[in-house]
Amino acid sequence: MDIDVQPSDDLAITPLPFSIIPSIPPSPEDYTLHRSQHTPIIIDNGSTNLRWGFATSSEPRYGPNIVAKYRERKTNHPLMLFGDAVEVESGAKTQAKTPWEGDVLLNFDALENALDYAFVQLGIDTPTVDHPVLMTERLCSPVHSRALTSELMFEQYSVPSLAYCVDGIMSFYQNSQFSGQPFVSDGLVISFNTASTSVIPILNGRGVLNNAKRIPWGASQATDYLLKLIQMKYPNFPTRVSVAQANWMFRTFCSVSTDYLSLLRSFEDPSILRSHQKIIQFPFLLNSNPLTGGAAGNGDEKTEEELARITERRREQGRKLQEIAARNRIEKLQQKESDLTYLLSLRDNYSSSATKREWDRKLREEGFDDEETFEDTLKKLEADVKKGRKKEKEKEGGTVDGEDVDEPMEEPSFPLVDIPDADLDPSSLAEKKKQKLLKAGYEARLRARKERELKAIKDREEKAEREKQRELEEKLDSEAREADLEGWARKLKGEQEALMTRIKDRAKRRAAMSDRKSAAKQERMKNIANLAAADEKMLGGSGTSKKGGKGTGKGVGKGTGKGRKGNAEDMFGADDADWAIYRKINTTTTISSDEEEDLAQLQQIEHKLLTHDPTFTNQHTHASIVSQRSALLNAFRPVYEEGDGAGNTRIHLTTERWRVCEAWFSPSIAGVDSAGLGEVIQNILSRFGEEEKGRLVKNIFLSGSPSQIPDIAPRLYSTLRPLFPVEMPIEIRSANDPALDAWRGMAKFAKTEEFATVGMSKAEYEEMGGERLKRWWGSNWNGGF
Amino acid sequence: MPPKNLKRKATATDGTLKNTACTSQTLAEQLSYLHLPRPFKNPEYTKNLNRRAKNLKNIMGQERERERAEREKRRLEKAEKDAMEVDGKEVTMESEEIPTYLSIEAPPSVLPHKHYCDITGLEAPYTDPVTGLRYHDKDVYALIKEMSASTAKEYLSARGVNSIVK
Repeated sequence: MDIDVQPSDDLAITPLPFSIIPSIPPSPEDYTLHRSQHTPIIIDNGSTNLRWGFATSSEPRYGPNIVAKYRERKTNHPLMLFGDAVEVESGAKTQAKTPWEGDVLLNFDALENALDYAFVQLGIDTPTVDHPVLMTERLCSPVHSRALTSELMFEQYSVPSLAYCVDGIMSFYQNSQFSGQPFVSDGLVISFNTASTSVIPILNGRGVLNNAKRIPWGASQATDYLLKLIQMKYPNFPTRVSVAQANWMFRTFCSVSTDYLSLLRSFEDPSILRSHQKIIQFPFLLNSNPLTGGAAGNGDEKTEEELARITERRREQGRKLQEIAARNRIEKLQQKESDLTYLLSLRDNYSSSATKREWDRKLREEGFDDEETFEDTLKKLEADVKKGRKKEKEKEGGTVDGEDVDEPMEEPSFPLVDIPDADLDPSSLAEKKKQKLLKAGYEARLRARKERELKAIKDREEKAEREKQRELEEKLDSEAREADLEGWARKLKGEQEALMTRIKDRAKRRAAMSDRKSAAKQERMKNIANLAAADEKMLGGSGTSKKGGKGTGKGVGKGTGKGRKGNAEDMFGADDADWAIYRKINTTTTISSDEEEDLAQLQQIEHKLLTHDPTFTNQHTHASIVSQRSALLNAFRPVYEEGDGAGNTRIHLTTERWRVCEAWFSPSIAGVDSAGLGEVIQNILSRFGEEEKGRLVKNIFLSGSPSQIPDIAPRLYSTLRPLFPVEMPIEIRSANDPALDAWRGMAKFAKTEEFATVGMSKAEYEEMGGERLKRWWGSNWNGGF
Repeated sequence: MPPKNLKRKATATDGTLKNTACTSQTLAEQLSYLHLPRPFKNPEYTKNLNRRAKNLKNIMGQERERERAEREKRRLEKAEKDAMEVDGKEVTMESEEIPTYLSIEAPPSVLPHKHYCDITGLEAPYTDPVTGLRYHDKDVYALIKEMSASTAKEYLSARGVNSIVK
């Protein structure tokens, strides 16, 4: 991902980060430390990240919980990649599978592969994994998921014992202050996970899970929501924004606002909105054609010379085609001529010397049925050749008027027309008729030609006159202008405003037409009804009223058929003003001629004002006023010019930064039908007594990676404070290391003696099945024994 | 021991060795662990390959069924117990409900919803009757009027209103 950007100083532009190529992971641990030690293995199986390690290590290993089994394209090697390594191959990315779907562990194979990787990294090379294992589960995980993992662990890896726990509780354990004593602590754990957020009350060191609640909103839903908002805000964005990029944006820029409503109200002022925005610059190409996309990266940078070259090439091609066409035409003409000469020679040869029969035979040989057809084809050929010759002369001589070429042709003569009918025999009579027709046509053509010439002359005269008039007007106008610039400008501005109001009214009227119940529609119905009114009395004459109710029937019209009622004649349409009614009835939204005239006039006036009046700028023209957007919308989503490659690939995040995180407190803004954090906490605490409430509220603990969103704690405090009596102290704290504390808590616990008692042994698994687990203070309750 | 991969055992456990040994290996191949030995896997364990990976819907359905069955059982037990009317001192161990995945899902909110503008995110006192979008002021309304039906639907679906009719 190359970035061509110069960040400007006044805008807070952040470029998109490079994607990191994963490095070779650290070599697996030396197993000799743990061989036959039965060191517990701790696995924190998270939706996003898998963390694992021996209990004695200080740091877990971790990686994104994604597995891709993939066959490399070039070498055809099958590969298996885990975690970050999946980013290396784009083919692998599409085939990546994760064991989790949201909150539920589903994919058996993927989980197996992930665990394989984990154990390989730990360096285990014994036939079984000979260590007790402590794994995490979701809160009240569906038993199917648990059965999956238990089966894997016991049957595939043959672990000696397996214990499950809830990650939030272990993180709480890690962060509670005590040393060595059994864990007795009270508090309310709010565990922010990838696909859900859970609230777990803990009393006396045990999780009271039947009062726990889970909100189906987590970091992944927030990322999706942010992505959707961005896509809707920028529908024509040149590049595709990926989920990973949206995730980065979410993690970097989004935060919770302590008082959402007042923040929103402050945004009424566009400058404040602008000061709170964050801009992300996506990679783009310089000098890019906006049509091909700023960052599409197809390298089509067309410079001036290239464009010129392309047009030249096109012109050449056009010329070549023309030449080819001309050549074809000439060939055909020559062919026809040769045919003609051949046929003529044929006729001369045979019709003069040979007998009729021989002539017929020859004709049939040539393919003509009889002499008639022969003569017809001959005539046609002659006409074609003549036309062809004429066209050739045109093309070469360059005369525009085909008529000029006509002149040298002799006037066709019609000899038989003048001879009276009586003198002619029947065949000649037929001839005469034909000639009459031809003569009439010829004369008509001559007349038409003459008329055209006359008309052309008249047009030219009219144009000259109009020109003169216009010049006169302009002179007057400029004189008026020079005399009194202000007055002239004022007059024109007045006209412009009048025109603009007219246009606006028309637009409003048109909009009102689409609403069924508006006044405009009702008026229209009244007009139509009047037209159709079956009145005997003819309202006759010219349309006196505006509505122009006329006649007795709607003679033309809206589908009521023949509407002649009574014996009164339908006089609608006799008067031209009648047709004006259709202006009012017509609901189609095409621009009528009136509007076009108005717009043209408006343009003229504006043009004059622009050139002569210094105070009238482009801002005042009708076009710019219509397309002006409010200052607020401009601050919200600035519009960049077409050619501004950099600008068009920027994303401005303003209200989205807080909107996305607000969803934790009211998921309904994002379409999730659930109560928000504040309400859920209130619900849970209402089930406890006052004294217990106090204990819980005094120690509210935030855990999980998404709890690192800034300002969650202050917001939570301000949400909860009004719910409880003032004397009750509310304290909110978050984990020291939200991402890894669950693992650390588990490791700490695994080193205690209690750990040995909480695991489920293989024998118990075989007896009870995979859906059960041993219940202890840190585990789930469903299926416990 | 699984029959395959025995040869590569020596070099494969250390990922860094591969760099020097093979020159033409791509990064992906180096990161792949398909050919690394996994001796800890039980070769006799055959996954039930006929079992299809269940998807989320099935699992949720199963959970629901199970919950219903549990509740039925509990109710029957309680009815029995009441019928027997033994010493009232008998305290059932299961007096607390076992929470399941579905039962701990948060209920819908009963607080009145605040209306936010679908386009800008600010407060939205108004709603457009044609599309159903909420908007902040008249300029946003002008924007809404120019929108196509599909864009309006997208905005609505972001809020969770999936209207099929319009």
